[in-house]
Amino acid sequence: MEFLSEPFMQRALLVAIALGPICGFLGVFVTARRMAFFSDTISHAALTGVAAGFLAGFDEPTIPVLLYCSLVAVAMLWLRERTQLLNDTIMAVLLSSSVAGGVVLLSLQRNRWSELDKYLLGDILSVAWTDVWVAAAVSVVVMTGLLWKLNPLALLTAHEDLAHVAGIRVRHLNYAFVILLTVAVSLTIRVLGILLVTSLIVLPPAIARNLSHNLRQHILLSLLVGLIGAAGGVILSYPLDLPTGPTITLTLTALFILSTTGRILRREVAPVKPVT
Amino acid sequence: MAEPIPDSPAVEIRNARVRLGETEVLRGVSLRIPRGKMVALIGPNGSGKTTLLRCLLGLQRLDAGEIRLLGEEVNPKSLKRVGYVPQRLQLEPAFTLSVREFLALRRPDTRHWFWQRRKTIDACLHGTLSDLDVESVLDRPLASLSGGQLQRVLIAHSLLGQPDLLLLDEPTAGVDTPGEHSFYELISSIHQRLGITVVLVSHDLAMVFRHASWVFALNGVICCQGHPEEVLNADSLKAAYGIHVTPYHHHHSGTDVREEPIRFHKR
Repeated sequence: MEFLSEPFMQRALLVAIALGPICGFLGVFVTARRMAFFSDTISHAALTGVAAGFLAGFDEPTIPVLLYCSLVAVAMLWLRERTQLLNDTIMAVLLSSSVAGGVVLLSLQRNRWSELDKYLLGDILSVAWTDVWVAAAVSVVVMTGLLWKLNPLALLTAHEDLAHVAGIRVRHLNYAFVILLTVAVSLTIRVLGILLVTSLIVLPPAIARNLSHNLRQHILLSLLVGLIGAAGGVILSYPLDLPTGPTITLTLTALFILSTTGRILRREVAPVKPVT
Repeated sequence: MAEPIPDSPAVEIRNARVRLGETEVLRGVSLRIPRGKMVALIGPNGSGKTTLLRCLLGLQRLDAGEIRLLGEEVNPKSLKRVGYVPQRLQLEPAFTLSVREFLALRRPDTRHWFWQRRKTIDACLHGTLSDLDVESVLDRPLASLSGGQLQRVLIAHSLLGQPDLLLLDEPTAGVDTPGEHSFYELISSIHQRLGITVVLVSHDLAMVFRHASWVFALNGVICCQGHPEEVLNADSLKAAYGIHVTPYHHHHSGTDVREEPIRFHKR
């Protein structure tokens, strides 16, 4: 474990420790509210943010990414409220147009094509101390926000109208949750990249779901699995000489297969019988 | 904002109009539900039952008219005194919220359920749950309950808010016939014990006949209202449903309740 004395590994590990658990926590509500594709759309929108940031002269386009992703997230909610379009349609339109827009903007500045990999697949080993502090601050904000609004979010997930009758401002809460998700996803792109970031949102709660019987257990286990997956992936990638982002995703995938197999063997998942 | 009037009706609707797209779903609905009554709102599909319920819950704005709940306008303050039992919850199996956690969300003394011990939460919930037969499912995820169990849990959830008015939307949809009987018996006993106003929005005419003290038949407007035996006759139902409906007949023999199924005859 001598490699942990390397400053770049320490920074990578700290970012993973800061972001893994909050992605797991957010993921509990993302999966329960069928928002995995929503999170995927936000992450793909980052490509336009990256390209626009390059064009505007940013070395590290974190702020343009955050702004553009927030814009797309709010646009998704707004379109859902104001049009009769299906969620999937809205998300597919925004996802594909953001990817296309990003590629077109990048084509205008070919000298930065080589940096694309870093954003598509993540490059946690290149993070600076500033990134560590930003990740820590975002982690505190997201964790505090989720714990503060845990009851309204739980009731909203169970039934929107019940939440309304209980005095919860449903629309405000929806927007606040989406903004927290967008901030977390935008930053986690540095860890896992645009293509894989959703795995850190979806896999920890899916693994935790296999092991828990109530929401409290689900949240606590999802936080823990997010931490283990992110930090474990960073640690494993060094001695195995593997790319860090995909190693995190594969570590979580292995845990998912193990936990799902365990659940099937415990007969907690009934097979779906085809209708004959 | 006007102060609530102490003896004001539980629900008062004056000339409520709602247009959804091209259709005027509510065309001037007026009704008055005195406090402490158990009433039913019946009507065919598309008659505006759900729209009217959404208006009562502040989920749908009126184009014209006025609604007052317990003497106040429909707002977050008046809705705090309203218990709502929806038709069903559309829960993902991925959502592990347990019955205990769901119920704890409704009470001020268990709002910190995430940090509280199970025994502490159960002690707080016990008083309300004792008659509702839901204590055996407290550990179960909400998404795993049967239709009948879920309805009891939803009733418990609404009662934990100590409502003065209970609104139930097609409460026995997805519940089997024996379950329906026991569910309505439960609602009746809650109504009698707590003296709260109960509004059943239902298409289930047999249950309405047995349990409601007053019936409103809706079809865009209130077609007729009165005691169940007055409203549930062929002429009144024809006015509401637009087709001939043979009213229910109950045959009581001991505890066995048999019903003739409702018959619809298009004329």
